[in-house]
Amino acid sequence: MKRVGVDVGGTFTDLIYVDEDKGEVVVHKLPSTPADPSQATLDGVEALCAQVGIPAAQIDHFFHGTTIATNIVLEHAGAQVGMLTTKGYRDILHIARHKRPLSFSLYQDVPWQKYPLVRRRYRRPISERVIAPHGEVSTPLDEDEVREAVRRLKHEGVEAIAVCFLFSFLNPAHEQRTKEIILEEYPECYLSVRHEVLPQYREYEGFSTVCLNAYVGPQVSRYVRRLDRTIMDRGIRGGLHLMTSVGGVATAEGAAQRPVNLLMSGPVAGLIGGIWTGKRTGSPSVITLDVGGTSADIGVAPDGQMRMKHLLDTKVAGYHAMIPMVEIDAIGAGGGSLAYLDAGGMFRVGPKSAGADPGPACYGRGGSRPTATDALVVLGRLRAENVLGGQVRVQPGLAAEAVQRELCQPLGLGVEEAALGAVRILTQSMVEGIEISSVQKGYDPRDFALVAAGGAGPLFACDIARELRIPTVLVPRYPGITSALGLLTTDIVYEFVTTEMQLFSALDRDKLAADFDALERQATERLRADNLGADQSLIRRIADCRYIGQGYELRVELPAGEITADWQQQAAEAFHQAHEREYVRRFPDSDIQLVNIRVQGVGLIPELQLKEIPTGGSSPDAARIATLDVIFNKDGTPEKLMTNFYDRERLQAGNIITGPAIIEQLDSTTVVNPGLSAAVDRQGILIIACE
Amino acid sequence: MASPNGHGTPNSMPRSVDPITLRVLGGAFTAAAKEMAHVLYRMSYSSIIRESEDLGAGLYDAQGNEICESDTSPMHVGSLPAYIRGFLKRLQGNIHEGDVILHNHPFQGASHTPDLGIAVPVFWQGELIGFAAVTAHLLDMGGAAPGLNVDVVDVWAESRLFNGIKLYSKGVRNDDLWQFFLDNVRTPEMNAGDIESMIAACQLGRERFLHLVEKYGVTTVLDTAHDLMDYSERMLRKEIEKIPDGEYVAPTQYLDDDGRNREQPLAVCVKVRVEGSELTIDLTGSSPEVPTGYNVPFEGSTLVASYVIVRSILLDEATYPDPVPQNEGIFRPIRVIAPEGTIFNPRFPRACFSRFNQVQYLADGVNLALAQAVPDKVCAGNAAHVHFLSYSGFLEEKGQYWVYLEVNEGNWGGRHGKDGLDSIACLIENTRNNPVEELDLRFPIRNERYELREEPIAPGKWRGGVGIVRENRFLVPGFLSSEAERHFDAPKGIFNGGNGSRASMIKNPGVEGEERLYSKVTGYPMQANELLQIKTANSGAYGDPFERDPQLVLDDVLDDFITLEMAEQDYGVVIDPQTMAVDHEATRRQRAAQGG
Repeated sequence: MKRVGVDVGGTFTDLIYVDEDKGEVVVHKLPSTPADPSQATLDGVEALCAQVGIPAAQIDHFFHGTTIATNIVLEHAGAQVGMLTTKGYRDILHIARHKRPLSFSLYQDVPWQKYPLVRRRYRRPISERVIAPHGEVSTPLDEDEVREAVRRLKHEGVEAIAVCFLFSFLNPAHEQRTKEIILEEYPECYLSVRHEVLPQYREYEGFSTVCLNAYVGPQVSRYVRRLDRTIMDRGIRGGLHLMTSVGGVATAEGAAQRPVNLLMSGPVAGLIGGIWTGKRTGSPSVITLDVGGTSADIGVAPDGQMRMKHLLDTKVAGYHAMIPMVEIDAIGAGGGSLAYLDAGGMFRVGPKSAGADPGPACYGRGGSRPTATDALVVLGRLRAENVLGGQVRVQPGLAAEAVQRELCQPLGLGVEEAALGAVRILTQSMVEGIEISSVQKGYDPRDFALVAAGGAGPLFACDIARELRIPTVLVPRYPGITSALGLLTTDIVYEFVTTEMQLFSALDRDKLAADFDALERQATERLRADNLGADQSLIRRIADCRYIGQGYELRVELPAGEITADWQQQAAEAFHQAHEREYVRRFPDSDIQLVNIRVQGVGLIPELQLKEIPTGGSSPDAARIATLDVIFNKDGTPEKLMTNFYDRERLQAGNIITGPAIIEQLDSTTVVNPGLSAAVDRQGILIIACE
Repeated sequence: MASPNGHGTPNSMPRSVDPITLRVLGGAFTAAAKEMAHVLYRMSYSSIIRESEDLGAGLYDAQGNEICESDTSPMHVGSLPAYIRGFLKRLQGNIHEGDVILHNHPFQGASHTPDLGIAVPVFWQGELIGFAAVTAHLLDMGGAAPGLNVDVVDVWAESRLFNGIKLYSKGVRNDDLWQFFLDNVRTPEMNAGDIESMIAACQLGRERFLHLVEKYGVTTVLDTAHDLMDYSERMLRKEIEKIPDGEYVAPTQYLDDDGRNREQPLAVCVKVRVEGSELTIDLTGSSPEVPTGYNVPFEGSTLVASYVIVRSILLDEATYPDPVPQNEGIFRPIRVIAPEGTIFNPRFPRACFSRFNQVQYLADGVNLALAQAVPDKVCAGNAAHVHFLSYSGFLEEKGQYWVYLEVNEGNWGGRHGKDGLDSIACLIENTRNNPVEELDLRFPIRNERYELREEPIAPGKWRGGVGIVRENRFLVPGFLSSEAERHFDAPKGIFNGGNGSRASMIKNPGVEGEERLYSKVTGYPMQANELLQIKTANSGAYGDPFERDPQLVLDDVLDDFITLEMAEQDYGVVIDPQTMAVDHEATRRQRAAQGG
């Protein structure tokens, strides 16, 4: 089977081609084309195919990770959306949850008011109402109002319409009829209807999600449909598969209808690539750290399982999207993070960043303030000729000058001390980021391996592992394209949800079974459409539960099988355990409320095998390129040590590299701390033992 | 009478901890407080905690100095040091490993009685080094009326009182005390669940505190905490110093009444004096204390609100370049004067259950007073109130009450260079609303309307924020209690901006039995099917409406905030009703003619 993964990032488009039968792997990187992201994608595929010497038509599966939906939201560049909503609730999107993001501020702005997803003038109240708890109609739908509102919205030029009625998850009849009317009046508009997109309670989060879907819908659907057509035209039979925020994939048509599911999917593939790396080296539990120029993405996967964010945290640029999202945290720490003293004399590193322009002081592009990269240059860990693969002419003198001027004088520290301090502070912010995602969620980092990815992750990984007592650091063969790799190692996952609202103490097991059946049928059909039979797929049950009286649910995987009293007991225990892990304790005597149920249809993809690298002896001397002084941290003070530098490309399986050592490759640099040693495995993965 | 509170040394920069460790530990403190709050609101039972996030959490040193606090409702977190000092006085050193201390005495530091404080002492090698503590608003504390108590005679009528009472002593729970408490509140199951969550949050805070001490040593940890306080103090003093010395006086604003003696308004007088790096808030001239529960505990509320508003104006998180940690250092450059026996410093045993709107007026007063000094950092007069309501009823079958507490939010006045925020937690308040779909599914109430109110916005160069209208119908008989404001005195415009609109609360609007309610009622009976309509005030505007960008005026028309006629009358902007475009020539003439 021949598969291609394409990850479109803000700066680069990464591609990876895998032919499992031949054990062939080819990677390719080219600049992204933000005006039309499909351009770089298609150019890249062509280049890959030329390199391998096959026509594109031989590619069986095409996996795609894209930030297009996220970027539309970040840049406030979505469609003009109209909204039909229950009369009396015109401003749910405008009020949000009425909490402001900053407690101590008079001059903050809130995105939902400054850049509304739907402007108030296009939010049209409609006479209708269904009521809790059973969805009876208390005010019938005024169909004339709907028709009139749609005609006006069409006249006013909205491109998309969202239909958001209160309690439609209890009874969707009014929304269904409204949809029919819209299809009669304005069939070409992009439609986003609440009970179809998200039949779940909590009106603000729900409306916001449905409107986000409409906001990104026209552009995203055009993009994925066009790309899908193009690759089909080139004979790629399987069509397009897109990474979603839940860590599954969607077909082009699925993504076109529910583009909201692509939001925040960007970093997910990186985590999946990290999980794969862990699995291949016998460390199923991984923490992934992907460090770029301005930010670091942190993911935690106990036993190789991705965790989902809490429903209050699933946001995009401040807008709520109540869709399951893989828990990945981004923090403002990267190679470009600025190191400075603030007005009160506090030493800070990040989240402010020098960005790509002017970039670190040592780039000589006019940046005068020191960054983490400058500190690493001062410490000798980054060699001038290897920064960004030698594409930038680095001037170490400028780095030292900037550190001297901005940090040493006011702090009364030496250049090396100050540079070391900057690295320690930045490392600490990553350590905190990892603690928030691990220790604070009940996971002990000592049970995990740290997968260091991105251009800068492997520079910091050993320091971080020491702080958190993580026993092993893994550096993938190509740290810079972990996301593209992840696209080829994910299973195909489709998720379906409905609000259930049942108490365990009075559980109507027949109803629950029927509801699960309905969702399972949808999932099975979806998988069948992808030609995935029962032997290549599985069905997973999930529920959002809470103790009666609590307000927020926990996502829990439920057992398969017939829904019996015994099943119910197992399900209850699964929830108690999840609660204890998240919140320290359980309440065994309390009743449990089943709020939403979900079914995942999982299409199993055979595990990716990469071609092995040549085997050599334990000595890495053949790959050594230099021996230079590098500064390391010894109990908070700088210590200069003679350090070997190696070329990653020339390392062979079985080589053992003893720290202090630096391993360079095209788009990344790995630091092996003094006293540690790194082994090169047959897949080219570096395994650094930190204990 | 006055409470001098400045005990810091200005501009001293002694550094006992190296700069790198300071940053490293500073981050760890903040993370610990956040985590405590996270556990509390996600685990707790009552909607006032979990949906509204009416809670606070933090770590404190052995004297009660705040090391760090969670980013939740500001009124809570700033108040915990006074709670701790309060119970330290009562317990006189009788504090042991394994104790869990309850405190809510408003004359011993508590913010007000329903905000129960729970603290767990942190011991290191046998020595008390600090506390992990939380506060949260409990649904019912066994006062005279369910939920909220405005019209009560004294502090015993408003709540059960805890003055440094140990629920756990050396790790053992006092089961009789526990049972006694639950027997004397109307919502025992909710209270029990909430208190369990609060204790869990404290225990977590204690673990994090000890973990840091183990790793860095107790001296470094405590020195870091104190250095961070000095840092925050230094930052605030720098900003105060930039304000020209002098006295700045806010226009007097009037509270509606005390909840019993109707239409007898209560004055709130705010003067701000700046001398060097010190700032004094003088509340002299404000109303005498009142005979109801509408007084403000001095330490736990008057002081805290003062700190929060000064910090929010001078170290605005959105515009200030670097994050300044919220801790005890912020309190040091600020003095507050409130004569004893006045509404902001009542004498024992006055009731002081309901104090939130008074401190919102206080904060708005500080904001308005400083308008002359720092016009680019303040808002026009803010809604500066909440309609805080308690809906309740008795459940025969359970022998308990249902109680639903609801915060109806304010909004913000126009600002220098931008409009005020609409319908969002204002000034000292920062809570979350309760989803309509959650409310209707859980309580015998049906919401029938929740949106921006239709009355016109306050006109100005930068318009004032818009309030909400909410309609809730009782489906069963029950009780209503409320603490609210602005039914008489509208928020003030500044620099020629228009005033806002008043708030209101009407029972059964437009149908038989319509009745306009006062802003404060206690245990007011509601029949099944009766509807309550609440409107919160619109805030005031900033600057002359004739200077407002005509394009923004057009947007306001298109968004149904004002009519075409108002655009012309109030703003001098002429819009062609056919094309719905600004007629710039006619606008110029209109503005010139009306002397704008």
